[in-house]
Amino acid sequence: MARFNRLTSGSRRSREEDTELNIVPIMNMFMVLIPFLLMSASFFQIKAINTSVAVHSNSPKSENSSPPEKVMHKLTVILELKEDLIKVSALSDTLEPGVLADLETEFTRTAGQALSVTSIAEHLKKLKTQYPLSDTMLLIPDADVSYNEIIQAMDCARKYHEAALFPNVVLSASLG
Amino acid sequence: MALGKSKKRSRVFRPPALMLTSMMDMFTIILIFLLCSFSETPETLKLDQNLQLPKSSSEREYAKTIKVILSKKELRLNDEVMATVSGGIIQGLSDVQDLKTSSFFQRLKTYYKSNKEDKSEAEHPMHLLLLCDKSHSFKTINAVIKTAGMAGYPNFQFAVLQE
Repeated sequence: MARFNRLTSGSRRSREEDTELNIVPIMNMFMVLIPFLLMSASFFQIKAINTSVAVHSNSPKSENSSPPEKVMHKLTVILELKEDLIKVSALSDTLEPGVLADLETEFTRTAGQALSVTSIAEHLKKLKTQYPLSDTMLLIPDADVSYNEIIQAMDCARKYHEAALFPNVVLSASLG
Repeated sequence: MALGKSKKRSRVFRPPALMLTSMMDMFTIILIFLLCSFSETPETLKLDQNLQLPKSSSEREYAKTIKVILSKKELRLNDEVMATVSGGIIQGLSDVQDLKTSSFFQRLKTYYKSNKEDKSEAEHPMHLLLLCDKSHSFKTINAVIKTAGMAGYPNFQFAVLQE
């Protein structure tokens, strides 16, 4: 038994000596890889939000065309951002004014308070569920509303819980 | 006494073995971090301290097009300074009557004409990339987007930082 132990301990020692790794080539590889990756690393990710401004259109109105029997109604949602109020309303060529008036809602907020994005998004989702063909939102911020809040409003209009809402945002100044 | 005399050791000098394991660990962590932040198209936008982009959940990539940079101090078109900004007012774009006479409008018109003449319009989309400081009010931004709209660029991409 003692002889066996001596034999095994001897072979272990020789194996330990054999398994000494030469790390220098790996270090060299790292020294090449790290500068290369540092050059092509981007520490901030810039993304984009597509939008447009309202322009004059010369397209003819389709007043004379008779509406189809079964119309899939399409809305243009209007989101007015004010200092103390957020108003959501809708426009449509095919819906009655009374129906559109029912879709209006307002969210009050104190000046300087952050946007209550969730409540706006939930209302927008309700509109989208009722009128699934709609995809355009007209965003009308007040002159004093910050760019950061405009982006937040665009974010909540684009999608809510991975469901697309109104991805086409048209930015417009208030007429008042 | 053996003062001043030192015993000469007859041992052979052996260089000390370097402990590279901890260095390897460090390099491995750095390598993984850099691999995660690897980008095929690294950002070449010059962002100065006066420009803080808002954060957004948008995942859309921006197109390489004309850049309008509205920082706290100045309005730039690509790398060219168009106007200075003080107190949220862009000099030369504060009045509606000034918009069409401003150098910003004239420069955009030049870009628009050259873009129109260019046959490869797909490569040069007719929209602007707006990099705007998040603290600006809509009043300030509206002067820029209104001028751009009048010059033939009604479509924009707002640059944001990914959340």
